[in-house]
Amino acid sequence: MQEELDAIRARAEAEIDAAGDLDTLEQLRVGYLGKKGELTNLLKQVGQLEPEARKAAGQAVNAAKEAVQQRLEARREELARVELDRRLQAERVDVSLPGRDAEVGNLHPVTRMLERIEDLFVAMGFEVDQGPEIEDAFHNFEALNIPEDHPARMMHDTFYFDDHWLLRTHTSPVQIRVMAEREPPLRTIAPGRVFRCDSDVTHTPMFHQVEGLVVDEGVTFAHLKGLMQDFLQRLFERDDLPVRFRPSYFPFTEPSAEVDIGCVLCEGVGCRVCKHTGWLEVLGAGLIHPNVFGHVGVDAERYSGLAFGMGVERLAMLRYGVDDLRLFFENDVRFLAQFQAG
Amino acid sequence: MRFSQNWLAEWVDHGWDQATLVHRLTMAGLEVEAVEDLGAGLDQVRVGVIETCDQHPNADRLSLCTVDAGEGGSRSIVCGATNMGPGDKVAVAVPGAVLPNGMTIKKSKLRGETSEGMLCSTAELGMAEEAEGILILPSEAPVGTPLADYLNLPDAVVELDLTPNRGDCLSIAGIAREVAALADKPLMGPPLAPVQPAGTPRREVRLEAGADCPRYLGRVVEGVDAGGETPLWLSERLRRCGVRPVSLLVDITNYVMLELGQPLHAFDNDRLSGDVRVRHAADGEPVTLLDGSSAELEAGTLVIADDAGVQAVAGVMGGADTAVDEGTTNVFLEAAYFRPGAVAGRARKLGQHTDASHRYERGVDPHLAVIAMERATALLTELAGGTPGPVTEAVAEADLPERPEIPFRPARADARLGTELGPEAMGDAFRRLNLETEEEGEEWQVVPPPYRFDLALEADLIEEVARLHGYDRLPAERMIGPMEPHAGSETDVQDRPLRQLLVGRGFREVITYSFVDPDTVARLDPSAEPLPLANPLSREQSVMRPDLFAGLLETAAANQARQNERLRLFELGRVFPRVDGAILQRDAIGGLVAGPLDPPHWAGERRGADFFDVKGDVEALLARAGASGAAFERAEHPALHPGQSARITLDGVHAGWLGTLHPGLAEPLEVTGPPVLFQLDLAPVRDQASEVPQYRPVSRLPMTRRDLAVVVSEAVTAAELTRVVAAYADDIEADLDLMDWRIFDVYTGEGVAAGHKSVGLALTLQPRDQTPTDDRIEAVVAGLVERLAGELGAQLRG
Repeated sequence: MQEELDAIRARAEAEIDAAGDLDTLEQLRVGYLGKKGELTNLLKQVGQLEPEARKAAGQAVNAAKEAVQQRLEARREELARVELDRRLQAERVDVSLPGRDAEVGNLHPVTRMLERIEDLFVAMGFEVDQGPEIEDAFHNFEALNIPEDHPARMMHDTFYFDDHWLLRTHTSPVQIRVMAEREPPLRTIAPGRVFRCDSDVTHTPMFHQVEGLVVDEGVTFAHLKGLMQDFLQRLFERDDLPVRFRPSYFPFTEPSAEVDIGCVLCEGVGCRVCKHTGWLEVLGAGLIHPNVFGHVGVDAERYSGLAFGMGVERLAMLRYGVDDLRLFFENDVRFLAQFQAG
Repeated sequence: MRFSQNWLAEWVDHGWDQATLVHRLTMAGLEVEAVEDLGAGLDQVRVGVIETCDQHPNADRLSLCTVDAGEGGSRSIVCGATNMGPGDKVAVAVPGAVLPNGMTIKKSKLRGETSEGMLCSTAELGMAEEAEGILILPSEAPVGTPLADYLNLPDAVVELDLTPNRGDCLSIAGIAREVAALADKPLMGPPLAPVQPAGTPRREVRLEAGADCPRYLGRVVEGVDAGGETPLWLSERLRRCGVRPVSLLVDITNYVMLELGQPLHAFDNDRLSGDVRVRHAADGEPVTLLDGSSAELEAGTLVIADDAGVQAVAGVMGGADTAVDEGTTNVFLEAAYFRPGAVAGRARKLGQHTDASHRYERGVDPHLAVIAMERATALLTELAGGTPGPVTEAVAEADLPERPEIPFRPARADARLGTELGPEAMGDAFRRLNLETEEEGEEWQVVPPPYRFDLALEADLIEEVARLHGYDRLPAERMIGPMEPHAGSETDVQDRPLRQLLVGRGFREVITYSFVDPDTVARLDPSAEPLPLANPLSREQSVMRPDLFAGLLETAAANQARQNERLRLFELGRVFPRVDGAILQRDAIGGLVAGPLDPPHWAGERRGADFFDVKGDVEALLARAGASGAAFERAEHPALHPGQSARITLDGVHAGWLGTLHPGLAEPLEVTGPPVLFQLDLAPVRDQASEVPQYRPVSRLPMTRRDLAVVVSEAVTAAELTRVVAAYADDIEADLDLMDWRIFDVYTGEGVAAGHKSVGLALTLQPRDQTPTDDRIEAVVAGLVERLAGELGAQLRG
């Protein structure tokens, strides 16, 4: 019997090793170890042996079954591994191919700059206020100390609807509304579209401004200088950016100032953009004129205020190196797509 | 305002180099726009005299001259001009000269004759844009003198960009005053003594316009030679200040205006009749101005008139009828003070902006007319001869502007500036600026000089203190203040997440003009009645946009014309629709999608974007905004495809439109596709206040999914179906939630009766506390089928 057992075992192991797939292996398992398998049959025959021979024979058959079983397991694992390898090979992809639906759009560069400006002021405790784009002459001019026929009105080439209504020429009327409606202390900015009837290489009839104000007791010109300096240096992310104040005139502020920064394109050496002065005018500012306070019922003896205003397109041009204002409103998608990152 | 640096130097010895002058002016609020250096390239140009001037033997159009340029001999020079002759003084460029226009002068042969230099024109010398003939210098010009010396060169033209408050700096004297204050140096200038009248002729002046003209000076000068040449030094000064020389009399009045800041006018005295009357025009009164233009004046316009009618619009321009010309022998000189408000706006209404109106609008020193009259008379008699009569001065003392007495608190100035300058420095600044100051106690009384129309309040004086101290030397400081939180509500619908959502879905933001073409608006919505601008720049930008469609479509057309075919654009901005007759100002977000839905990709086929692609974008926007009550209803909009357009409502309130552009509009609007458009009004979206989310327990029991196919009439909309399902979901007993239902299939064709469609519904049922039996699930689904059958005639698809 031992001889027969050895022969079966040897044959089984050879067949297992030769099995090329899991199905064949399963057939072999059934053939040797199943209910009617050869080794199972041999085990049944052990019962018919002499009692003294039974124990040894049983052990021998069981050992053979065990060996075949292990051989089957080992072969199954090997075949599974090969099968997996084959599958992995088959499922390889070119990972450098582009993914699906990866495209993102972008904000308009003016919006991008507007949001940056808003974020900087909001971080300094400012609110953000909006106002109407179709304004009345009182809020756009009179309340801002620009009476009719004042030469300063000539500087604002105004679009009119009639004697009363116009397109706001600046976002300063929002300041008037805020001061008339709310009590100091006030810290707010007013971003938005403004309009002037002027159109050439350096002017578009519509552009964007951010104006802001602070009204409180004890607001000083020094605060205005500090605020503008902080703002501009953070906006351009340069703590050493030179910021220069020089006297100017706005009807709604007194004292008034134009604020220049050292040219960010030539580092102050002098170039075409800064007209070889090394300086770029970027915003207007001042302390709120007492007449303006008078129009909105703020006590100019108790309170003082600072106000500032800037052109968003101008800052966007300087920051992003755009050399033609009109590009902003042509909206060519090849232009827009350049402002995707960040 | 342009001025000559050399001329300024005669008025104030500031001792600064050019860069310092430019810097100090700019930092004082007199911004220097540009500086133009004059006189470069004239090193080898000298005054010469023509000795002989003959026809070139070999060229009809050339002359052959011999010229003495003070070198102890003669030069032979070939010249193409014809305006010179023997004895004329000319500008001679000798070989080696490199002229301002870049021309290099060399000894050469022209048609066989030697030319040892060039006779120059004003253009070649950089003194004019163009010139006819060569420059003939005055006969007293000394031969051999370098031309630069003779012309007071080198010089520089400094161009100031003056703010409207500084009308006092619209003259050499005014700028000099400012520079003298900045440099703390004395003011100089030419002697300005009164001219003794030598004759008796006079013309009476009557002031009939009250406060608009409280001072008017007139003087008759008889026997002038108006046809004489303006001397070169004077015309050069005019030119360097940007004023074109015209004729001797006009040049003299302009010169005094540039020098002192007082506009003057010269009438031909023989063409005036009767008294000069300063009065207001009657409505429609005619006048013909110097430049030949005619106008019918508005009532109230301040004019200078005589017995014949209006002879000048005061402070703006003289009339043609009484203008001086080369034949004028008797002159009536005018120097007046017109109230700024009487001139402001008049020039603009006449379509004129003159040097005079520019100054009067900003304010001219009411005392200056007296001085300027004497200065002009002195120059006139010196340069054109004549006998001056006495000055007729009409004054309404009570109407002359009062000089304000301004209270000024030095401590307040320091408090506003954030400085500690102290009273002494402030008093010094006022002294330098010619402010009369009573420095007593804590509140001073300050009276500004009569030429400073911009100083009326304490704040104005604080600015003067800051200006003289120098803005760049003022301190900078960070603010401290109450840290009041300003954050809005958590559930506010903000613009930024809406923008970012579309950006995340591949949209590019555009910003288009708020004014659009009325023809486009009329095409898109003939009933829109957009608000027109009274003074548009062009017809294409003449009405306020009633919605975002016109701008988006125009942008699409422009991009498609540049082969940018695949477009996903959006804009967030204000629109101006007319509702019940009134124009509203509303925020809206709108989009346009055209061309292929996706960029070319290696996997999958490309297809054009359609209605439902964009509807998905709009639904995502609404979901992001927390607008839960949105519905899309079939409705027609004149701009949209009638079968592919929907009105968007929020809880029944109109909130926008979605649709494919009407195919009939694609060609006139020059867009292809046709694109799909949407606009969502933000007011109703913001009004639909979402609530702060409140947690509900999430069941741990497994969900059950069931698919259902029902056949309904084609007229039954998806919205109706889902409404029935939603109502049923509300009615199910509390043991189960029908928590989600989606249409996963819509089918017509074989197996479905004509006029009907099969709709596949995917249902998700979520048990709450215990796992339901299969029977319970089936009963719930069967209940839905029954409800659909009852309400919509739906049949379970077999």
